[in-house]
Amino acid sequence: MLQFRMIKSLFLAMGLFLIASAAHVSAQEVNPQQRFDDANNLYRQSKFTEAAASYQQLIDAGYSQRELFLNAGNAWYKAGKTGMAVYSYEKALQLSPADPAIKHNLALANQKVTGYTGELPLVFFQQWWLKLQHMHSSNGWAIGAVLFLWLLIAGIIVNFLIPGYRNKYLTGANYLLGVLFMLYLLMSVDTYMIANNHNNGIVLTDTIKVKSAPDDTSKDLFELHEGMKVKILDATKEYCKVELTDGKNGWIICAGIKSL
Amino acid sequence: MNCAFAQDFRFTTTVSSNTVAVDESFQIQFMLENGVNITGLTLPDLKDFDIVQGPFEQRGQSIMNGRRSEYYAVLFALRPKRAGSFTIPAAQARVNGNLVKSNPVLVEVKKGNSQTQQQMQQQMQQLQQQQQQGTGPYAPRTRGGDEAVDGILRKGENINEKLRKNIFVKVEVDKTNLYEGDQLTATYKLYTRLPTNSSVTKVPAFKGFSAKDIELPNPPQATEETVNGVPFKVFTIRKTLLFPLQSGTLELEPVEVDNQVRLVKIVQNKRNKGGRDPFEDFFNDPAFKDPFFDDIFNRADVEYEDVPYKTQCNPVKITVKPLPAEGRPASFNGAVGKFTMDAVVDKTKLSTDDALTLKVTISGQGNVNLLNAPKVEVPTGFEKYDPKVTDNIEKNSNPLSGSRTFEFVLMPTEAGDHVIPPVEFSYFDPVANTYKTVKSAPFTIAISQGKKVKSEKQDFSVGRNELTGIESGILPWVKKQTWFITSPIFYALLLLPVLAFAGMAFYKRRKDYNTTNAALLKHRYANKVALKRLELAARYLKEGKDKAFYEETSRAVWGYLSHKLKIPFADLSKQLIQEKLAARSINGSNTSELFELIDNCEVALYAPGQDNRRMQGTYEKAVSIISNLEDALKN
Repeated sequence: MLQFRMIKSLFLAMGLFLIASAAHVSAQEVNPQQRFDDANNLYRQSKFTEAAASYQQLIDAGYSQRELFLNAGNAWYKAGKTGMAVYSYEKALQLSPADPAIKHNLALANQKVTGYTGELPLVFFQQWWLKLQHMHSSNGWAIGAVLFLWLLIAGIIVNFLIPGYRNKYLTGANYLLGVLFMLYLLMSVDTYMIANNHNNGIVLTDTIKVKSAPDDTSKDLFELHEGMKVKILDATKEYCKVELTDGKNGWIICAGIKSL
Repeated sequence: MNCAFAQDFRFTTTVSSNTVAVDESFQIQFMLENGVNITGLTLPDLKDFDIVQGPFEQRGQSIMNGRRSEYYAVLFALRPKRAGSFTIPAAQARVNGNLVKSNPVLVEVKKGNSQTQQQMQQQMQQLQQQQQQGTGPYAPRTRGGDEAVDGILRKGENINEKLRKNIFVKVEVDKTNLYEGDQLTATYKLYTRLPTNSSVTKVPAFKGFSAKDIELPNPPQATEETVNGVPFKVFTIRKTLLFPLQSGTLELEPVEVDNQVRLVKIVQNKRNKGGRDPFEDFFNDPAFKDPFFDDIFNRADVEYEDVPYKTQCNPVKITVKPLPAEGRPASFNGAVGKFTMDAVVDKTKLSTDDALTLKVTISGQGNVNLLNAPKVEVPTGFEKYDPKVTDNIEKNSNPLSGSRTFEFVLMPTEAGDHVIPPVEFSYFDPVANTYKTVKSAPFTIAISQGKKVKSEKQDFSVGRNELTGIESGILPWVKKQTWFITSPIFYALLLLPVLAFAGMAFYKRRKDYNTTNAALLKHRYANKVALKRLELAARYLKEGKDKAFYEETSRAVWGYLSHKLKIPFADLSKQLIQEKLAARSINGSNTSELFELIDNCEVALYAPGQDNRRMQGTYEKAVSIISNLEDALKN
């Protein structure tokens, strides 16, 4: 009886928490849908800079939607800010990597980037891996992992602890469940890692000098232009070591790039 | 049978001699063995040789190794024009529909000597004989036996005059004055009275027209037509439906035909010239003035000649009137003829996730192949894509008829009731000389809000240098994604089944312990009792006091038995113990060992001097017996 009551109160507490948190969110934000629609209207009236700023406000407020990033990218592109446009499209592409619209727009934006070399196409197994990764969301993978673990444990319990149920099919199923569990766990961790990987950045300033060492006096190696995607290898307080897709690297001022 | 023939089919060119002198004639034979359905035998160009005799045709059968074979051969007697080495190219024939070729033959021609003259004479005779045996003259390029009559070039006749009279090309049009877009049928015909092998060398381009050819039967079929009282064979070269694309005076370009006309020249017989032959008089007898004899005996005196002749028809001028400007409907789009229109939508209720297809079918007679899509006014709230056009034109129809279907894909972007205005289509009717307009009914479409924002059906082709539009719609506004994998619930959920498993395993272990290992533990407990009882005895054993040891051991055993079997100490006897133990179904080794131990103890008490090892054995035995009894008595 005591146990029962405990569980009941636990559920109640959880429910209350959920309601409270939901209420919290809605109370704090002035209807993001409204702001999004307003921004869309601004875009349709060709007020691209204002629209882009509105979208950016939503993004800065912490919302991350494919459409939001796509529209923001369009607005920035039309407003002439290639760097921000590329940044927004890259963000959108992280959320939905197979989306043709985003790819198309990103390709257009990249055409405006001086010195854009294009990314290396993925090898077929990388493409498979990417496809596999996006079969579920990160949370989906995690839920799957939990589910398969439960099933696996149930299977093991039936197979080993309950007499008379032990058979080779069940053992096989248990192995399969084990493998699936491992896969889902691995994928959930992997997707989480990728989503929280801030190793890439987009150059936002028009022209930026790449230096051979992280200080002002060092030699200039080459120049990067707005919208260039770089890989951030290392960082000091002021300088970041970046690498391009073609392997060139050097140090640039961190303020000039925005990490994805 | 046919199959067997086909297998053994051979087409060969053979010459009587590969090496000949200039003035020596030789025989060439084109032999088709076992050919079924032989048509159109085309012989190679024998320009380096004079045809002395021939062609002679031979048909026959032979039975070889029990197998019947048929042959068909064409023979010529040839005489080289000059010395050298010549290759006679392969002859071609169509057998059972397939084009077959014979082997080419190399002939070496040496500078001549008259010695071979006789040989030639012999060969000629031979040929003549063969010819008489054959079924008749072979005229390979004639299209009909009776035409050969016209193919005879009589003495004194002008070849060009004859050709001009007997072969010509004509173009026929069904009208010369018409409206732009109206149909005109042009037919190019070859008229001939001579055996000829013709090929079209120049086809008209029909500038200013849209042309659609009508398929003609292959091989061409001849028809009879009488021109100026003279019967001609007529072959249709080309029949085309033409639609003028511009107004003004247009010209139908002529078609040019290359003919190889085979003419037969009658050459005077030498004997006739000489008149010394004794047979001459005989043959000049009126009784022999008969075509039959003429045919047989004068055959060798006939010469064939292939005359190339190029002919072309006269150009035809067509006057194309522009379509009247007055009364032209706004929806007119160039259609001329007689049409009907059918417009349907595939659904009237759909969501914004779906697509609507408006299918407009225009069918009738006229320039169906040139129809433009009728204008479809799409209300706001729809996106219209270019129509998909499918044609269904009746083959070889004259006037051209059929239908053209336009499929407009409309993508609804807004929910609500929308009305697509009626589809209007106008055409010019050249018969009634007016414009006509057909209209469909308007379509009312109910559109419901779909779930997802459309993004698929857009064009992302490489060449498109435009951004895709922004996407609106109701979004699930959640701040940054929450990560289930970092939440404690995730780990709790992972841990829970593991704990459950551990709990189950522990429970199971305890249960097993209770069922299978309880006896062992109980035994251990019994051992404890025995050891406690024999505590004192153990001390004496260590100290080596044998008497005290046996006394104590004996007392411990008796005490244990009295306690366990609930017999007062004073009443204890071996007899009673045995009965009591038997009552509790303990017997066998346990009891016998017990009594042995008691006896041992008594003996040792009264006969001291035992060694320590014996005492150790007794002690261990006592421990084991008490343990065993404890086990046995507990159950």
